[in-house]
Amino acid sequence: MSRMEPIMPQLRVATPLQGAPRTQAPAAKVSAREVSVFYGDKQALFDVSLDMPEKSVTALIGPSGCGKSTFLRSINRMNDTIPNCRVTGEVLIDGQDVNARDVDPVLLRAQVGMVFQKPNPFPKSVFDNVAYGVRLHGLAGSRADLQQIVEMSLQKAGLWDEVKDRLNAPGMSLSGGQQQRLVIARAIAVNPEIILMDEPCSALDPIATAKVEELIDELKANYCIVIVTHSMAQAARVSQQTAFFHLGKLVETGPTETIFTNPRESRTQDYITGRFG
Amino acid sequence: MTEHTVRSFSQDLEELSGDLARMGGLAEDMLSDAIQAIAARDLVLAETVVSRDPQIDALQVEVEKKILRLLALRQPLARDLRQVISALKIATELERVGDLAKSIAKRVKLVDQIDAVGALKGVARMGRLVTAQLKRVLDAYTALETDAASRVWARDEEVDEHYQSLFREVVTYMIEDPRTISACAHLLFVAKNLERIGDHCTNIAEEIHFLVTGEQLPTERPKVDALNSN
Repeated sequence: MSRMEPIMPQLRVATPLQGAPRTQAPAAKVSAREVSVFYGDKQALFDVSLDMPEKSVTALIGPSGCGKSTFLRSINRMNDTIPNCRVTGEVLIDGQDVNARDVDPVLLRAQVGMVFQKPNPFPKSVFDNVAYGVRLHGLAGSRADLQQIVEMSLQKAGLWDEVKDRLNAPGMSLSGGQQQRLVIARAIAVNPEIILMDEPCSALDPIATAKVEELIDELKANYCIVIVTHSMAQAARVSQQTAFFHLGKLVETGPTETIFTNPRESRTQDYITGRFG
Repeated sequence: MTEHTVRSFSQDLEELSGDLARMGGLAEDMLSDAIQAIAARDLVLAETVVSRDPQIDALQVEVEKKILRLLALRQPLARDLRQVISALKIATELERVGDLAKSIAKRVKLVDQIDAVGALKGVARMGRLVTAQLKRVLDAYTALETDAASRVWARDEEVDEHYQSLFREVVTYMIEDPRTISACAHLLFVAKNLERIGDHCTNIAEEIHFLVTGEQLPTERPKVDALNSN
């Protein structure tokens, strides 16, 4: 499936390399190095280092309040919107630090799409939901281009057949599962390379969940996907790499199969087998 | 190991272990009684062994039902998953041990007329070794001790050696006195059954190792002389 070239410059061009090139280019698409996050005086994340490869799904698991959503948000600088929030360390996308002074967070959030637990379609039509970001970033040269981008995104999100005859219907008139896929279509319409998902299926019924999981399976061929999930079974089903967080620290990372059949750390084992305190 | 937060999950696993312990006990008793029956040519004892086999079969069916339920309802992971899968395989091994013990017991009346006491003694010796192997591996499973399991696994070489020498001994009897050929042939089957039970013990040892470590034992068995004998 060919990727459409956006007219606006990508993140890379917006932050030209200055000074000496990086001596150690990371292999992973997204690479966190010693990332700590503070809410005022309270430290929520402690020196987290994690590589998230491209064309692959990384799952973040852990009990409530362990910092996994905080970590997810540091990848596209959503933590910027939280007052008194401070981030240290490096979050690198293709070797470039997202917190560098000359990075435009708006552009960043086009390149790094995000899907939340509660589907949040805009109070607009199905078509305008998907077209919104495309128009905002000037990614379509003409009305015909825009229609093509919207259709392709809805196709990729597995929603086209269900909405093609009612593109003008309000986005919020769709079912929960459809809304979530609409939101995913909206995210991929602006041609991201990375998609972040924060418990995308928690509010969905099992069939809608299965459809979203199938979508994730297909998307991973082209995107780096990072998903926070409370469901061990889901993490096991959709991801290739799993990272276990506890009390703000990254306890263990590994291939998903290994984490769920033979984890190294006893804390990981206790959590995934339901033996936690 | 700490308890599951959902206590009934822990109870399910304990019940499973209990069933396997009962199967193990039954298999041990059947085997040692079958050996005793052959050595003493005790037909009555042999009959009790045969009659106990349905119990062990029923336990295996029960274990499989429980495992199916556990897998579907609990979706066990990591060590819990390995424990459940190992239990399934060990139940199969123990059911086979029961069948082999029954097969030995059935042959008691067919070796009735053997005068070759020496051969029967050889079978009894091999039988005691295999019975000890079974007991040791079942103890290793209860205690989840990989070292004990590995020792059983390595010691199977001794069982094989016993089988080889018993085979040669019995063939000699057949050559010396062709009237004993029929009975001796049954004796060879008994020896073969014992050797198979030895193999089932090593399979159980491998399962224990996998359960505890998550890894397979190497395919080459180490030589028995290198280890301390029990």
